[in-house]
Amino acid sequence: MTTSSAYTPTRQISPWRENLRLVLSYALLFLIALIFLYPFVLAISTSFKTLPEINERPVALIPQTFTLEGYQRMFSLNVGRWALNSLLIATIVTISNVLFAALAGYALTRIAFPGSRFVFLAIIGTMMIPGIVQLIPMFIVLKSLNMIDSYSGLIVPKMVTAFGIFLMAQFFEAIPREIEEAARIDGANRFRTFFQVVLPLARPAIVALVIFSFQGSWNEFMHPLIVITTNQDLYTLPLGLAFLRGGLGQNLQWNALLAGSMLTTLPMALIFLFFQRYFIEGISYSGVKG
Amino acid sequence: MTPALILFAVFVFIPIFFAIYFSFTDWNGISPPAEAKFVGFENFRVLLFEDGIRRADFFKALKNTAYFSLGVVPMQTALALLLAVVVNQRRLRFKSFFRTSYYFPSITSSIAISMLFLFLYQKNGLVNQVLETITFGAWEPIAWMADPRGLFHIIFGWFGLTLETAPAWMQANVLSLSVWDWLSGPSVALMGIMLLNTWTTIGTMMVIFLAALQDVPREVYEAAEMDGANARQIFFKITLPLVRPTLFFVVTLGLIGTFQVFDQVYVMSSGGPAKTTLTVAYLVYRNGFTNSQMGLAAAIALLLFIIIFTLTLVQRRITEGKKE
Amino acid sequence: MKIKLSMLLSALLLSAMILSACATPAAQPAAQPAAGGEQAAAPAGAVNLQLMGWASSDAENVRLQEVVDGWNAANPDIQVSLNLVPDYDTKLQTSLAGGAPPDIFYVDSFRLPDLAAAGALLPIGDKMTNVDDFYPSLREAFTVDGVFYCPPKDFSTLALEYNTDLFDAAGLEHPTADWKWDDLRAAAEKLTNKDTGVVGFSINPDFARWIAFLYQAGGEVANADFSAMTLDSPEALQAMEFYVGLVRDGFAAPASDLDSGWPGEAFGKGRAAMTMEGNWIVPYLKDQFPDLKYGITELPAGPGGKATMAFTVCYGVAANGKNTDAATKVVDYLTGPEGMKAWTDLGLAMPTRQSLREGWLAQYPNLEPMLNGADYARKWQFRPGFGDVLDTINAGMQEAFTGAKTAQAVLNEAQSVGEQVLAR
Repeated sequence: MTTSSAYTPTRQISPWRENLRLVLSYALLFLIALIFLYPFVLAISTSFKTLPEINERPVALIPQTFTLEGYQRMFSLNVGRWALNSLLIATIVTISNVLFAALAGYALTRIAFPGSRFVFLAIIGTMMIPGIVQLIPMFIVLKSLNMIDSYSGLIVPKMVTAFGIFLMAQFFEAIPREIEEAARIDGANRFRTFFQVVLPLARPAIVALVIFSFQGSWNEFMHPLIVITTNQDLYTLPLGLAFLRGGLGQNLQWNALLAGSMLTTLPMALIFLFFQRYFIEGISYSGVKG
Repeated sequence: MTPALILFAVFVFIPIFFAIYFSFTDWNGISPPAEAKFVGFENFRVLLFEDGIRRADFFKALKNTAYFSLGVVPMQTALALLLAVVVNQRRLRFKSFFRTSYYFPSITSSIAISMLFLFLYQKNGLVNQVLETITFGAWEPIAWMADPRGLFHIIFGWFGLTLETAPAWMQANVLSLSVWDWLSGPSVALMGIMLLNTWTTIGTMMVIFLAALQDVPREVYEAAEMDGANARQIFFKITLPLVRPTLFFVVTLGLIGTFQVFDQVYVMSSGGPAKTTLTVAYLVYRNGFTNSQMGLAAAIALLLFIIIFTLTLVQRRITEGKKE
Repeated sequence: MKIKLSMLLSALLLSAMILSACATPAAQPAAQPAAGGEQAAAPAGAVNLQLMGWASSDAENVRLQEVVDGWNAANPDIQVSLNLVPDYDTKLQTSLAGGAPPDIFYVDSFRLPDLAAAGALLPIGDKMTNVDDFYPSLREAFTVDGVFYCPPKDFSTLALEYNTDLFDAAGLEHPTADWKWDDLRAAAEKLTNKDTGVVGFSINPDFARWIAFLYQAGGEVANADFSAMTLDSPEALQAMEFYVGLVRDGFAAPASDLDSGWPGEAFGKGRAAMTMEGNWIVPYLKDQFPDLKYGITELPAGPGGKATMAFTVCYGVAANGKNTDAATKVVDYLTGPEGMKAWTDLGLAMPTRQSLREGWLAQYPNLEPMLNGADYARKWQFRPGFGDVLDTINAGMQEAFTGAKTAQAVLNEAQSVGEQVLAR
């Protein structure tokens, strides 16, 4: 907190009250964090419990008999392979998504072509039809392209998403046109303007899109479910988890299910932790431009 | 651009065109679609104009979904923006910790987390325990996910208004549901899902706002602070106007997400109790995949699309209207 | 940025490698139902078939794989790969509609009318070895309009489970197969204890349970040819009033009131002294409540006599599959005396062939009440689109349990929805 006083020289509040306010603010932030994290703490502790203990009430935070049963069951399946599949797919999907979404989003907001507004609305519109009615058509399309039971079937349909285009378009909208025009006057062509001026300015949006794309692909369930019909080697983690769960049947192996969920969540949390550092308050335009 | 366009056309537009076509057929979703009979607007007629279980279910689902969206969208948008502003401060300590923990619920598989919440919502579960503690024992534990009582019905009850004492116009039928039913409010079970949904989406929305806040030049804040503006003034006068395009994006996403809520209903309630958590997307699934009426399901999906699209346009007009 | 990105990627790869490294030593091939690609190379010219089902418990997955392996070893010309999948209904329907159905697949009796009406199933029931050996009630479950579509793979029936400790503590005689409704109600009343929070009986507002009472009362859902609904009968009302009355009087409670996800859990926790579930409760209680002492007996008889429900799954053969003859042969093996015995020896699912009855009972005498149910069980199978009726009754019963709706109102609504469904 030592630095904070340096930033508030104009305010005449007694340091004691200021400190109390800080303590209370942080207490509130930690309380909110607790609300957001507690179910996971519970999930982790439950993943180390035996089945009979999971049924006990009230729920104890520390397992009485610590067991690795859940994790053993999880690892008795081909999780390593599934994790690699998920990683591969998510990485490719993320890269292509960012690339295509940035280009398409830019084109839609900056290049006025006839019907551009209609195209924009049509793209957003595709997000508004429940995916569940598109499952069978998607299967038919993939089958006619011979993409069932293949990596390409898992990856290619997800390489461009309406969500990504929408996100990027909304951000380009917010970037002042004057900056580009200035570059244009300096003699840069459209491509150079895009790559050297606009894209760096859109970095926060790209960071967000990387996080979302990766996460979306990492957790995607319905698409791999219909693409992979027989080859379990092509399963992704969520499919594997669902396999572990069986149906939504009654004899749930809670410890294994939660062990699996936690192991799936962890890599994603690391990704987020890594990328969120690129959100730094108030990047000044002058600083980025050079 | 061209490859992107081709990919989009093949994997997004074609399946959607298929789905639109199905809504005009009697397809059962099991036999090859080529065998389906074209029935014109029959599915839409059944859903909108024929008094019966299919229309009743459709409007019941629409009602539930509307309550859901009305509750969740404002809540998640406001909280997400607030949290984003807070965790965006340069001077904040433990920034990574806060950001990551607030984002955490967005990461995990919604199936596992929904199942975990079934625990928490039980009669002796954590949610009731917390409510009991903070009300000093005044809270009566309820089995959240099994409680079909509507929020507004409960409130009406405090004033002595029940189904029996309701005036005649409340008993009248509008679109296969009584006015009394229309005015139920979200059921306790639906509110349980609403809370869970808000909790899991705040993080995502927060990240979008966080990205938008990066575009606010540092100098603007510094100048405002120099002028002695307090936090509230900075928020309403500077931050809010600058993130307006993002606000449109977040609210649109919220509308799309809430009007299509499916996973949590699928895992936690299957539409029950008493169909009070039956949402439109779940009804689509049920008709298409357990009731062999894929044509009807596609028609519901198309109606849903029209509703969300209209709301988005209206919403866009509102957010853009204030832009000047 | 570039350096950091590569660092991230290597970190990811590393974590993935750690994951896979952990996985390898523990991997047990047996616990891993084989995927198509992993099968040992089949002899040239052999027919390859896919058998699709849903993933069940480990024990069952492994056993089914063993049975299939047995077939493959003895029949080099027809090789079967077992494909157990999550979210089965969605998956099956997608592959059927997409024109790429598995050769053989599970069909639940409730789903049968829809699949049969869509022409997705080849009727193979009568081609099975010694068809009359299957219990008539189970053949009935897979018969639509006189066509026996597919042979039952196994089945479960509803029975009454009771907590022996709670019965003994209350000084009550254990339930028997001779019980009547009144006995059930009287015992439930005596076992209910407000102080300990224990109720006599746990039942959910669930058509699939109440329907047993409907049949016990002598009622019917519809007439024999499904041309008219009969849920407006006095018998149906009597059954609904009895079922709902148990709850309204406080002698029975749904699982949610007992801090449980389903009645079996409430029973396992000792919060309910009795419940009515099928065979699936047995492995559940063994895994999750190993210390519980309980007994099983047949459901009580109502004014119309004894009745229970049979929940069963068959092996269907896709009508437009490529190798339907080979598929039929495989199904005949799986449901034949030998295959059926191998599959049901685990004691989790019951054999659908009467000739296996004695042998199975010798191994699992405690499950006799459930097996006996086959003699008088009713089928869980109606008409296409009957899901609407099911949903309506469930929703109505949920409200009846809280007192917001009368038994009569629930039935009126169900009757009307049923008539709409039959008229489609």
